[in-house]
Amino acid sequence: MGSLGVVSVGKVQLEIEGISFSYGAEPILDQVSFTVPTGQLLGIIGPNGSGKSTLLRTISRTLKPYLGKVLFESRDMTTMSSLEIARQMAVVPQENQYDFPFTVEEIVMMGRTPHLGRFQREGPRDRRIVEEALRITNCAHLARKPVTELSGGERQRVTIARALAQEPRILLLDEPTAHLDINHQTEILNIVRRLNRDFNLTVIMVLHDLNLASEYCDQLLLLKDGRIFQIGTPEEIITRENIAAVYGSEVLVRPHPLHGRPQITLISQKPVPARSKKNIRVHVVGGGGMAATLMGELVYAGYQVTAGVLNIGDSDWEQARTLGIPTVEAPPFSPLTEETHRRNLQLIQQAQWVILAPIPFGEGNLKNLLALQEAAARGQRVIVIDRVPIEKRDYTGGRAEKEYRRLLALGALKVGKREEIYRLLEGEVSLH
Amino acid sequence: MAAGKKGFKQPTIILILFVSLLVSVIMALGIGAVPIPPGETVQILGSSLPLVGRLFSPASGPIVPSHFTIVTKLRLPRVLLAVLVGSSLAVSGATFQGLFKNPMADPYIIGVSAGAALGGTTALALSMRFRFLGIGAVPFFAFLGALLTMILVYNLARVGQRVPVMSLLLAGIAVGSVLQALVSLVTYFSESELQKIVFWLMGSLAGRSWDYFFLALPYVLVSMFIIWLHARDLNALLLGEEPAQHLGIDVERTKKYLLWAASMLTAVAVATSGLIGFVGLVVPHVVRLLFGPDHRLLLPAAALSGAVFLVWVDTCARILLPPQELPVGILTALLGGPFFLYLLRKRKNTLY
Repeated sequence: MGSLGVVSVGKVQLEIEGISFSYGAEPILDQVSFTVPTGQLLGIIGPNGSGKSTLLRTISRTLKPYLGKVLFESRDMTTMSSLEIARQMAVVPQENQYDFPFTVEEIVMMGRTPHLGRFQREGPRDRRIVEEALRITNCAHLARKPVTELSGGERQRVTIARALAQEPRILLLDEPTAHLDINHQTEILNIVRRLNRDFNLTVIMVLHDLNLASEYCDQLLLLKDGRIFQIGTPEEIITRENIAAVYGSEVLVRPHPLHGRPQITLISQKPVPARSKKNIRVHVVGGGGMAATLMGELVYAGYQVTAGVLNIGDSDWEQARTLGIPTVEAPPFSPLTEETHRRNLQLIQQAQWVILAPIPFGEGNLKNLLALQEAAARGQRVIVIDRVPIEKRDYTGGRAEKEYRRLLALGALKVGKREEIYRLLEGEVSLH
Repeated sequence: MAAGKKGFKQPTIILILFVSLLVSVIMALGIGAVPIPPGETVQILGSSLPLVGRLFSPASGPIVPSHFTIVTKLRLPRVLLAVLVGSSLAVSGATFQGLFKNPMADPYIIGVSAGAALGGTTALALSMRFRFLGIGAVPFFAFLGALLTMILVYNLARVGQRVPVMSLLLAGIAVGSVLQALVSLVTYFSESELQKIVFWLMGSLAGRSWDYFFLALPYVLVSMFIIWLHARDLNALLLGEEPAQHLGIDVERTKKYLLWAASMLTAVAVATSGLIGFVGLVVPHVVRLLFGPDHRLLLPAAALSGAVFLVWVDTCARILLPPQELPVGILTALLGGPFFLYLLRKRKNTLY
């Protein structure tokens, strides 16, 4: 897990040269070119209709491009027979029709077809390969079962086992996790990754789940309208800008907490709704993750959010950065300096509302309370979230509590539930 | 992979079926208005073989001369034709079921039978009486009709170099219903030959001579051999055409061979014996239920089972209402339908 962006350095195995394909007059692929080195795990991503599956099917030579060619180890694949190709390349299609009650073993044995003569019976070597393929795909216990009785995830694994029995050097998969539950999605992709790592099998797969694509692939090829938008490591491809440009969706991108690959979170609504709150600025004083959700909600609701003073590396700071909001930063674990305090005051002054999250107070961030007092004294609207009693988060021996009480005395509004904040903010809207 | 569902090895299953066929043929030869004991039938058959004939000389009693004639001239050609037609329909049905990936497909699915019916009906209605290579006008025109229909349907379904099975199915249904209407039209306007036409359409093996058998034999052998060659490819085609291609199979070429060979089997069967229903649907189906879907076992097993089935049903057709003959097509449907339903009820969970 977690080997960030390791690109297996292998010899170029596949060269896709200027492939163009169209159904009738409608172009599906336009001048697509890229190379795949041996042992790479390449993911093809892109919105519906961008040509992902078509690209995969031109590589597997199911479809014939009208322009361009595919070279397998420098050989033009159009000069190869389907038998020759089947010995090098196996394909796992998106859907598998298993209407006839072959046993799992029989289905996987069909993968040996390209290696057997017309009258040749399966030998011990073929049986060994089938056994191995079943084992790798966690299907050994299913060997005698009719395929018609399998679940979706099991069928997909059996299909992968069949592909493996072909002893291919390239494995193509067309959305292998479509229609599967999350546990089966990861099971399938773990198998694929193991095949890639352990057997140096080159893998090209179409995926529509961007997070899974980012997690599992070495390289990603992002398609847009039948052209390559960009090709690169997940870190290069899965960015807020790329997703917005190709999918037209607003997303947050942040590294996965365990493996570090970029993961997206969808913002189903654009941050600026029709009833614009664009002019309303809200400054949030947070820290230690106490303000993360609030900042997200406010951005989502369409407010202009600023934040301060947040220590670099703090989870609130991460959130502010993901949301892209103006933030006063301080070095980690350091007390606030005059300079950061001044900048915090500046942002506070520009805001119509200032909200204090239920953060713990130590000597380092006590200045935040003073800044808020200044604002309240000026008549600015300050909301104090009092979900946790101040005594319980005062690590200054009573000084914070004292300043906190003074802030309330200066007219700050104390709220307990989050809804109350929004009620207050909404009231602001009606005033204008 | 070699084992059938019951755990028998493939060769064992084939051997058992082959022995049943042999026994069925010998018993069927003895059954009729003149009963002949199986021992004598074996003697008659043996003694008419070249070279080894002498070994079958009267050890257990003399051969009645009239029995010799009844067996070799009357019953044997008919029974052997039943073997050919039964196996042809079963193999053709199994092939179409595989090609269309549909266990409900049968040898008549792409309209070949309707073409044969039109040919045969027309010959009967016009009372054509010429003989060609020992066979009459009816089978000749029936075969011609089947062949022309095959060519028509195939070319209607063709899209460039490819023959998608779906368009084959649709073209077959469309052409079939037009031809069926023409059959009705011809039948409607031929009062004098009406009974003959109706009887022929119901399918019968009555009064077929050796000529029919020997004319049909080469077509049947060649077609079956071609299909047998593609048994493994048929298995792969059940996965779908694209997966089959990814396993290295030349899908379009394979489909073409299988289609023509299966249609040829249907054409021969219909031309020699009219429309015998249900054999081509039920037999492959039952064989698949018993031994699994692997065509390397399914095809020979279906051929032998189809032969056994038709030999017995035709024997029933001969003896049930003496001295009348029942059209065998009626009996196959009467027997096959309920048996089929029984199997479906019994094995609900494995419908195919």
